[in-house]
Amino acid sequence: MTQFGAIFVDSLRLLRGRSLFWITLGISLFAGLMYLSIGFTATGYSVGFGLVAVDHPAIRAGSPMAGMFYFAIFSVFLVNVWLSWVAVVLALITCAPIFPEFMAEGAAGSVLSKPISRWRLFAYKYVCGLLFALIQTAAFCVLVFLAMRWRVGSWNPTIFWAVPLITLMFSYLWAVMVAVGIKTRSVMAALLSVMVVWMSCWMAKVVDDFAWSASESGEIPTISGGERLSTSEQATWKRYQALAELPYRSLPKTTDTVNLLQRFVRLEGDREFSMSEVTTATLNGVPAKDTEVDASMTRGSPQWIIGSSLVFELMVVAYAGWLFCRRDF
Amino acid sequence: MAIEIESLAKRYGRFEALAGVSLSVKSGGVFGLLGPNGAGKSTLVKSLLTLVRPSRCQGTLLGRPIGHRATLAKVGYLPEHARFPDYLTGRQIVRMSAGLSQMARKLALAREEMLLERVGMATRADDVYRHYSKGMRQRIGIAQALIHDPQLVFLDEPTDGVDPQGRVEIRRMIEEMKAEGRTVFVNSHLLDEVEQVADEVAILCGGRMVERGRTADLTRREVSFVVRSQGPLPFELKAAFEKEGWLVGADSIEVRGEAAEVVQPVIDALRARNVSIREIRESRRSLEQVFLEAVNRKEEA
Repeated sequence: MTQFGAIFVDSLRLLRGRSLFWITLGISLFAGLMYLSIGFTATGYSVGFGLVAVDHPAIRAGSPMAGMFYFAIFSVFLVNVWLSWVAVVLALITCAPIFPEFMAEGAAGSVLSKPISRWRLFAYKYVCGLLFALIQTAAFCVLVFLAMRWRVGSWNPTIFWAVPLITLMFSYLWAVMVAVGIKTRSVMAALLSVMVVWMSCWMAKVVDDFAWSASESGEIPTISGGERLSTSEQATWKRYQALAELPYRSLPKTTDTVNLLQRFVRLEGDREFSMSEVTTATLNGVPAKDTEVDASMTRGSPQWIIGSSLVFELMVVAYAGWLFCRRDF
Repeated sequence: MAIEIESLAKRYGRFEALAGVSLSVKSGGVFGLLGPNGAGKSTLVKSLLTLVRPSRCQGTLLGRPIGHRATLAKVGYLPEHARFPDYLTGRQIVRMSAGLSQMARKLALAREEMLLERVGMATRADDVYRHYSKGMRQRIGIAQALIHDPQLVFLDEPTDGVDPQGRVEIRRMIEEMKAEGRTVFVNSHLLDEVEQVADEVAILCGGRMVERGRTADLTRREVSFVVRSQGPLPFELKAAFEKEGWLVGADSIEVRGEAAEVVQPVIDALRARNVSIREIRESRRSLEQVFLEAVNRKEEA
């Protein structure tokens, strides 16, 4: 067996031995079944394998919006809520002890005394730490892939983009957790700091969206809907937009990375997914494209979103690796 | 030489854990490194195995510079308070060790069976590590240290927390390693354990080497014979023995010397006065005495 093979198999066994892994997989299976239970009828759609039927003029069997609606449920609820929030929290809790436990007295010695360089060992363990997210997302996507074939009638392999994107998003956070775990050897410190970083990323995204909306469209979102800004106010927002964007630019783009799925996926007839189209179709019964909404969803190129996040991740990983290699065990 | 340290130093801030230690360990024997807690024993071993980055290090391990990573393929290690992943079985721990040592799968499987048998874990090898007793954990630790057929084996406090029967077993395993031609480096503060297995010992105290030599030589430095009489010694005999410079008690005489001849005049004198002899025994310094003297000397210095 190769050294990578030994660490890979050990990581799989670690996951197998953690109850949270199975709990997450169980919930994923349940969520997948719930998804599968949504079907289309001649007059609308049904939930719970026909238990609740909803009549809808635009979303029904054979309608062009059915496939997009079905994908929207997957993307908005299952990916954006379940996979990229709840499952990631469970993944972080499960994986948080990996490095602190490995570095505990008496644990690291038997591995570090083997003919494997510390950098290589660190890299292998780091990469294998992504297995939780990878396996969970892949298993879930297989369910969704089958569900789409059954409910929409076509095979859609582009939904598997969720696997690298969710894993990538998890890796940004995993890097932070590994660095803090190595620095402090504390599971709690690692978990807390990754939560703080994650919340910061989310806040930075909210602030950036707010600033962009105010400076580009001259409107700020409020509870009552939206408030139009005067030209001078809009100009002020424009002036400070760069400052407001700074945290977003420097932190990893967790939300945007996951949202790339909506850009990468291709629906029946090689159509692109349109959030405004599916929203208007669901709410008003008539699909209508809102270019402003779609433009805000597609702001920032995939290269920029992934590239700038990877720069952050690489810097954190390099620091973590440096700490790991210099540490006395 | 299995280990040749010219100078090894390690500082943690202001604290000097190892102060330029030099040490040689011959191939194919059992070497015991003794020392009180905090003496620097584990730091020394960890420095040799690259677990600790020494402040200064000159020397060789199996003929290659210390820190040469490929050489570690010929080295086995059981850490102090060894802990392995508790979700693995004993067999999986040994297998993982083989993988990290880049062993060929076929060879690893063959050695794995043989070693689990040898350490007495063949029947429990598929149980999860967290269900093992301390003794079982040490046995698995020894098996993983030996899986890749190392030339040099470091055992850091191998009998720590192990029951007496387990200690006997571990001693037997160390003797088997020696019989196979491996060099075994035992790190321990349990002196009687080391005395029973080590051919050579060194005593480390406060990061400095304070004594070293063959175990037999160190304990032979003060050999004496003790003769005990049945009942108190007659007064005139006592006075005569004391005049000879022997150590005389109420019913005992201690004569220093390595050869049995030195004690013959005592026996003759006792028999000439019809004093019954209850016991004659050879008395050597124990390693514990050697250790305590060395440590005290260091502290006084």
